[in-house]
Amino acid sequence: MTRKSRRLWLVGGCLIGLGTATALTLSAFSSNIVFFMAPSQVHAHPPAADRTIRLGGMVVAGSVRQQKNGDTPVNQFNVTDGQDAVTVRYEGILPDLFREGQSVVAIGTVLADGSFRASEVLAKHDETYMPKEVAEALRRSGKWDPRYGKAPDAASWNAMTTSATGQDKAASQHGS
Amino acid sequence: MGENETVLNATPSLAARTGNFFHRYANPGRFLRLGARLQPWLTWPAILLSVAGIAWGLFLSPADWQQGDSVRIMYVHVPAAWLASSGYMGLAICSLLSLVWRHPLADLAAVEIGPVGASVTAICLATGSLWGKPMWGTWWVWDARLTSVLVLFFLYLGHIALIRAFDEPQRGYRAAAILGLAGAVDLPIIKFSVQWWNTLHQPDSITLTAAPTMSTAMLWPLLVCTIGFTLGFAAILVARLRAAVMESRVRTALAMRRGRADSHDAQDSGQDLSGAVA
Amino acid sequence: MTHLPYIVTAYGLTIGLAIILGGGAALRLRRARARLAALERPSRTGGASAP
Repeated sequence: MTRKSRRLWLVGGCLIGLGTATALTLSAFSSNIVFFMAPSQVHAHPPAADRTIRLGGMVVAGSVRQQKNGDTPVNQFNVTDGQDAVTVRYEGILPDLFREGQSVVAIGTVLADGSFRASEVLAKHDETYMPKEVAEALRRSGKWDPRYGKAPDAASWNAMTTSATGQDKAASQHGS
Repeated sequence: MGENETVLNATPSLAARTGNFFHRYANPGRFLRLGARLQPWLTWPAILLSVAGIAWGLFLSPADWQQGDSVRIMYVHVPAAWLASSGYMGLAICSLLSLVWRHPLADLAAVEIGPVGASVTAICLATGSLWGKPMWGTWWVWDARLTSVLVLFFLYLGHIALIRAFDEPQRGYRAAAILGLAGAVDLPIIKFSVQWWNTLHQPDSITLTAAPTMSTAMLWPLLVCTIGFTLGFAAILVARLRAAVMESRVRTALAMRRGRADSHDAQDSGQDLSGAVA
Repeated sequence: MTHLPYIVTAYGLTIGLAIILGGGAALRLRRARARLAALERPSRTGGASAP
């Protein structure tokens, strides 16, 4: 019995020690674990010109410009974290999820004029999962514009889900 | 002295009580009977719910407003991720039972959880990659969530290798149990990685503390898939563990028989052996 | 644009692995049960022939 308790305390002690060590290591390296920098961080601590960084934020509505350079599209848009904005230039095809109001992560370097030249743009989708027809209905009723912010609480539109799909089914039944 | 004794009696009570509770199920014969009765109640609901959940997710649930049909990968990715973590939780519990209470069934269970857990973790990583390419625009990024799940996969692989690495199984059980327990620090890192650091991976849609940020039309098939896959994981584990107990019985019986057949003089030692394993 | 190949691959991998793991476990259980039954049969000579 005593041997078992001693083993239990020993294992518990080892786990606490290991957990503390891991927590300290992670908090010490937390700035390296962070996947991207926000525009306000980039302004506050501008990285060296040759250093590749990842810039994350929301695409500002109305800031997207597209031109064609031969076959490849040249894109320019502003990325914001709500406090600051950085202009991003990117030559290449944007991911499917790219749109105004979408969160993106751009990989590239900060130029001397403060703008950002991206070599790669990744789209970051949020944790809201919503059927198409609900999003469409919310947009039509003016309750939510995806270009200007996060979707409202799921509880507020879950009732619409059933009614929307119900309408869908009714419509398809009428059609057939 | 009297005080000392009461203290000694009071301190082991937690360890002793827990040990008694688990040792009731340590008897392999009792486990075989329990497992045989449990098996159909795990297997058939697992098959039924998984098939229903997959059909629901693939054909009946709505497409997402921004991800379109790709959101359907969620119905296999999320249950796989959940099972990868909870499977490792089970492995860590078995490791604790093995290290502290020398629970023989926990060692066998740890051997069997490893490959199944590694498989679901591989599925989680593969389906996540297949989801990331069309949605994010990349197969893989080194963000905190993805990296910590990859670490979990390597922990599983390390455990699989270590527990089989020794000629004497007991030494393998001990070494692997230490790895299994130490690796458990990765579990909270996986869980909270999307909150502690900014990542490309989105935060969890379903949490204990807040209402889900997901349409109920997608939540239900996800729930059915998760329950079905979890029952399937349990059914596969119980079947493997039953097989492992039977295999060890076959090995002991063969060893006994060989001992008897080898020499009639050494019959005593053969009986010793049978007494030791029974 | 449809992402059907990605969805089909994800489901195919998952279902394939489930079948491999489940079938493997069932086969292993059956073999173990048969070998144990053969050994526990009272006739000594019949059991010893098990591989």
